[in-house]
Amino acid sequence: MQPWKRQRLIGYAFIAPVFLFLCAVVVLPLTHAFWTSLHRTRGLSSSFVGTNNFERVLTDDAFWHSLAVSLQFTGACVTLHLGIGLGLALLLHEIRYGKTVLRVAFLTPWMVAPAVGATIWLWLLEPQFGVVNYLLLSVDAVDAPLAWLGTPALAFLSVVAVDVWRGVPFVMLLILAGLQTIPPDQYEAAGMDGANPWQKFRYITLPNLRYLLVVASTLDIINTVRHYDIIGVMTGGGPAGATEVLPVLLYNTAFRGNRFGEAAAIGVLLLLIVLAFAIFHIRLTRPERGSAP
Amino acid sequence: MKRRSRPVDWARWILVLVALALVLFPFYWMVNTSLKPASEIFLSPPTFVSPNWSFDAYTTVLTQRPFARYFFNSLVVTLGTTVLSVTLAAFAAYGFTRFFPRGATPFVIFLLFTKMLPETLLIIPYFQLMSDLGLLNSYLALVLAYSSFALPFSVWMLIGFFRSIPRAIDEAAIMDGASYLQTFVRVILPLAKPGLVAVALFTFLIAWNSYLWALVLTTDSTMHVLSVGVANMVGEYRVQWNELMAAAVIAALPVMVLFSLLEKHLINAITSGAVKG
Repeated sequence: MQPWKRQRLIGYAFIAPVFLFLCAVVVLPLTHAFWTSLHRTRGLSSSFVGTNNFERVLTDDAFWHSLAVSLQFTGACVTLHLGIGLGLALLLHEIRYGKTVLRVAFLTPWMVAPAVGATIWLWLLEPQFGVVNYLLLSVDAVDAPLAWLGTPALAFLSVVAVDVWRGVPFVMLLILAGLQTIPPDQYEAAGMDGANPWQKFRYITLPNLRYLLVVASTLDIINTVRHYDIIGVMTGGGPAGATEVLPVLLYNTAFRGNRFGEAAAIGVLLLLIVLAFAIFHIRLTRPERGSAP
Repeated sequence: MKRRSRPVDWARWILVLVALALVLFPFYWMVNTSLKPASEIFLSPPTFVSPNWSFDAYTTVLTQRPFARYFFNSLVVTLGTTVLSVTLAAFAAYGFTRFFPRGATPFVIFLLFTKMLPETLLIIPYFQLMSDLGLLNSYLALVLAYSSFALPFSVWMLIGFFRSIPRAIDEAAIMDGASYLQTFVRVILPLAKPGLVAVALFTFLIAWNSYLWALVLTTDSTMHVLSVGVANMVGEYRVQWNELMAAAVIAALPVMVLFSLLEKHLINAITSGAVKG
C-alpha cells in the first residue's frame, strides 16, 4: 500500500468513532423527528399523512399565540441580558481587587441547573409565604400579596425575570472578556484630548465591542428561543397560555396531548427559526478564517 | 503609582455589592430555608436566620426520599457522558487536525449546527426510539441522549485546542519512529491536558444540569436524576419547602464547588469558544 493511502486510513480510524456516534445520537434521531412530523401515530400504528401535521399546526391559533409569546419572551430576555450584562461588565472591569472572586460569585446563577434555579424561584415567589411578597409588603410596595404565577401578565414578567437572573452572567462574562481586549492606549489618547467618560464609552468602548455584542446577541437569541427548563418548571405554559413559548407548546403537545406528529411539526418550525439565526451566527464568526473553531 | 480611592470607586463598589446581593439572594434563601424545621417554614414574618437551624431536612431528603439514589444516578450518567464524549472527541480532534486539516472546517460548521438544535425537537424521537428499544429508565438511554449535546460540544472545543499544538511536535515524534497512536497518547494528549480538563469539566457541568432529557426518558421514580427529582417535588400535594430547598442544595453544590475550584480553566474555555464561534 502506498504511504499516503495508509496515512489516510489511519486518519479515518481516528475520526470514524465520532462519525458513527454522531450519526447514531444526532442524525438518526433528527431524521426520525422529520419522519414523525409527516406521520400520524395512534398507539403502535402510524400512517403517512404528508404535510397534514404542518397544516394543522399552522392553522391552529395556539401555535401563532405561542410564536408571539416566544418572540416577546426572547426579545425581552435578550435585551435585558445584553443591557444588564453590559452594565455589570463595565462596573466589574474597572474594579481592581477581588475580581476573580466577584466573577465566580456573579456566575453562580448560570452554574446551577435551570430547572433547580426555577424551583428556588418558585419558593421565593410563593404567594402566601414567599419572601418576595413579604419584602414588597413590608416596604409598602404592594397592598396585598401578588399571585406571581397566577395571572398572565405577572407570570410572564416572572419567567422573564428568572431567565434574566440566569442569563445575565454569561453575557456579562463574554463582554468582560471583550473589554479586556480593548487597547488601553485608546483611552489614554482620548483622555489627553479631553474626552469625558460618556464620550470614551460612546466612541471607544462601543465601537470596539460592536462585533462581540452582535455575536453574543445571536448566540443568546438561539439559546433563549429554544429554552424549555425554566418555563417548563415554573408554569408549564400557563396561566391561560401566557407563558407557553414554542418549546413548551411542543412538550405539552407531545407529552400531555399525546400528539407526536404535530409536536414534531412544531419542532421542525422551531428548528427553522433557530437555523436562520444559526446561519447568521456562523457567517458572522466564520470558523474557516480563524485558527480556532 | 499609588492611586487614592476616589468617590467614583466607592460608588462603583456599592453598585457592585448591591447587584451581587440581588444575584445571590435566592441562594441565601435556599440555604436558609433548607436549615429550617418544618414548623418554621410558614411563619410570617419569615426568619432570616433560623434560631432552630439543623440539617434535619437534608437527612430526611437523603434517607426517607430517594435523593441519595438520584445523586448516584446523576453521577453515573454525567460521568458516563463525560468520559465517553471526551475520549471520542480527543481521537476525532487529533484525526481532524493532523490528517484532514481542510476537512475540519466543514465538520466544525456541522458541529456548530448540531450544538444549536432545539432539544425539545430531539426528545420526541428519543422518547419513541428508546421506548421501542425498551431502554426507557436505563442509564444507557440517558448517556446516549446526553451525548447528543455533549459530544458535538466536546469535539468542537477540542479541535480548537488541538489546532493550537504545533504539528512540528508530532512530526518529530513520527520521525523518531513512534506510531501515530503512540504519538497521540504519549506526546499530544499530555500537551492537550489543560484543554482536556476544561472540556471535561464543561461537559460535566452541562450534563449534570440537564433536565428535559431525563424528565422524558425516565418514568420510574428510582431512575430520575437530581434536577428531575427536585423539580418533581413541586408537584406534590403539600410541598415541604425546607426539604425541597435541601434537595436543591444537594443538586447545586457539586457544580458550584467544581466551578469555583477550576474557574480559570473554564472561563478561558467558555469565552474563547463562544466568541470565536
